[in-house]
Amino acid sequence: MTLNRPSGDTSHLYDGKTVRSSAPSRKKLAGQVGSGGAIPQDAIPTVEIPSFIESLLGGPLVPKMKFLPPDKMVQNLQIGVYGVLVALAFLTYIISPPQGTIWYILTGSLGLANILQLTIIAGATVLGFMGTFRRDARLSLGSNLLFILAILRFASSKTSLSNDLFNLQGSPTMLSVLVVVYAVLLIMYFELSNGVIRYSMLDTSIRTNEVYVMNPKKIVSKYHRSLIINPVLATLLAWFVLSANTILPAIVGVFSGDTAERMRESVELTSVYGVALGTLFVFITVGILFGLNLPTHLQRFRERQAE
Amino acid sequence: MWSRKSAMLGSLAVAMYLLGLTLRNTQLVTIAVVIFVFLTWAALLGNHADVASSGRRAEEWSGEEGVALGNVVAMRKLSSARMFEDGELNVTLRMQNTSSLPKILEVRDRVPEVMRIKEGANYILMELGPRRETFIEYTVECPLRGFYSLGPVTVRIQDAFGLFHKEKELHVYNDFLVFPKMEDLKETFVKSRVPKIFTGAVNIRQPGPGSEFYSLREYFEGDSFRAINWSAYARSGKLMVNERERDAVSDVIIIVDSRAVAETGPVSRNALVYSTRAAASLAKYFLGRRDSVGVIVYGDEVVSVDRDTGKKQLYVILTKLAGAVARGNIPLQVVVNRILPHINKGSPIIFLSNLEDDPTIVNALRDFRARNFDVTVLTPSSLEFEFDAKRIDRTGYEVMKTERDVLIGELRGLGVNIMDWEPDMLLSTALAGARGF
Repeated sequence: MTLNRPSGDTSHLYDGKTVRSSAPSRKKLAGQVGSGGAIPQDAIPTVEIPSFIESLLGGPLVPKMKFLPPDKMVQNLQIGVYGVLVALAFLTYIISPPQGTIWYILTGSLGLANILQLTIIAGATVLGFMGTFRRDARLSLGSNLLFILAILRFASSKTSLSNDLFNLQGSPTMLSVLVVVYAVLLIMYFELSNGVIRYSMLDTSIRTNEVYVMNPKKIVSKYHRSLIINPVLATLLAWFVLSANTILPAIVGVFSGDTAERMRESVELTSVYGVALGTLFVFITVGILFGLNLPTHLQRFRERQAE
Repeated sequence: MWSRKSAMLGSLAVAMYLLGLTLRNTQLVTIAVVIFVFLTWAALLGNHADVASSGRRAEEWSGEEGVALGNVVAMRKLSSARMFEDGELNVTLRMQNTSSLPKILEVRDRVPEVMRIKEGANYILMELGPRRETFIEYTVECPLRGFYSLGPVTVRIQDAFGLFHKEKELHVYNDFLVFPKMEDLKETFVKSRVPKIFTGAVNIRQPGPGSEFYSLREYFEGDSFRAINWSAYARSGKLMVNERERDAVSDVIIIVDSRAVAETGPVSRNALVYSTRAAASLAKYFLGRRDSVGVIVYGDEVVSVDRDTGKKQLYVILTKLAGAVARGNIPLQVVVNRILPHINKGSPIIFLSNLEDDPTIVNALRDFRARNFDVTVLTPSSLEFEFDAKRIDRTGYEVMKTERDVLIGELRGLGVNIMDWEPDMLLSTALAGARGF
């Protein structure tokens, strides 16, 4: 190795030798010597930064994907995920017949589209099981994406079933209920599979003394309550939004019976545009409430009540 | 604030909703609506509101945290504001909920990155009841010297599913100082050649009243009988007396190289870390012997602590050493030119540097030697640190080691007491080596 550096002022003392009087700079040298590119471990302070997938799933408390064996809470959540996963897979198969899927459009074959659709649903289920069992966020995320892919259909506005086991096709109300239940199950699956990861992280970090938890029972019970209350309320509110085609004519009927009747018979109102109209009304209301800073006022009210 | 998870769900819902409308697919719209509702409900429960959108004036806005975190108070107490490296600091964090509602909070007390949590945790998930307070205790280990600050305390409140959260930084800061750790020295072998007016504890290589043996000489009338060396008398048949070395207060100047190049190597093992520890140990030793010690730290500027004695001086020196940061590239010659007029001729000078990237070192030390200063150089080898850390290969190491040896040899030729201080060598061993023991 040659170091092309100017000689120091004492080099004349060493006749015939190419040495310098001062030691080389490590900084400059670092770029010249071959295998020294790696930064030593203890040169960098450990800063825990969650990966993209970790933060996508809610942001971990401690970004370590190697968990200790699951505690009872995590095991219960895993059992919950398995249950929801089975129900979700079944419902996905029911409400997403191969007609209208992208596979059908691409292949033109109903049989092939059916096989592909079933493969995707099966893949989503298997990935979901594996992700939950191994507590691997990447597999769970893959499962979520496959479920979303399975439900994407370029079909008509009417809900159709691939297998009408319970004879629901004739009842639009029951079909709507089925879709709402499906949607709630989908979200609950997202939440529960994410909950498995989050609580594994929390449990691991508690047991490794990285996080200290005070009153864990209260914290866990709040989560359990939310697991029940949130889906129920989401179902009710969604049902309210989706019932715009009956609620709107009823409201209009107070002022004009004829107009209300015309609305009831309107094809548009019973189609997807009716749902869109209902959504618009509800979310305008929600927007106004948020604009009026309702959550803050609600909080203040609760604080005053508790005084 | 939205989390990535809620942003992802929101985007998914918008995409499904628009796609559903475009394709006239009720299923997609229904799923999108359910996701919207779920998000809205979580936001409502989490009391997440964009306060700015309420139309209130900026001065009325109480911050991102809103009401929910408005009544959370934090206080902190440290067991000590000063400690030595590898010392432990006990932190007590007091969290108060002054509101009348219970809160589930995530609390994180920010600790400097180089610190290690030894006991307890600085990250707490807690349920804090109404008008309650709690004490959180944890212990941090401080492995590296420096000025540090604990804080702020970050408090977060979020909904059960982690979709929305609100954060508040409680600006509670506690500063503390970590001094470089010191090695107990029994002997430094550094002796002054110049007496000063006041007697003290440092030998100055002249016979006189003192405690260290200097030489034997024949007895003269008036010599104390206590000074007679009876063994020598038995050997030679003449009365011989022990002469002792004169003790006197002496000036000791310690120069610490804190140029950017001094920090070459791992964070915990580099020349600057070793130099500051050595300087602290030497200062303690000399001040303990009632010497007058001055310290010069140079990097991007020349920082000096004037010569003085006593415990207060040790504290001043330790504070300066704790704050030494590897910056700049001032040549040693500049430092020497600046300090030469101000130091007593013949005073011991201890120079702590890895001797790198400064072509003026030889000339600067020659200037010291020319004025009969007793110069000791301890040079922690950055080469060893980097080789141990596998940052340089064997060939590069050998070449640079040879060059370094040549430089050390050259300085030794100038009469400088120099020692190539290898990482695992004790300071006392290095000092003894420098003095040829």
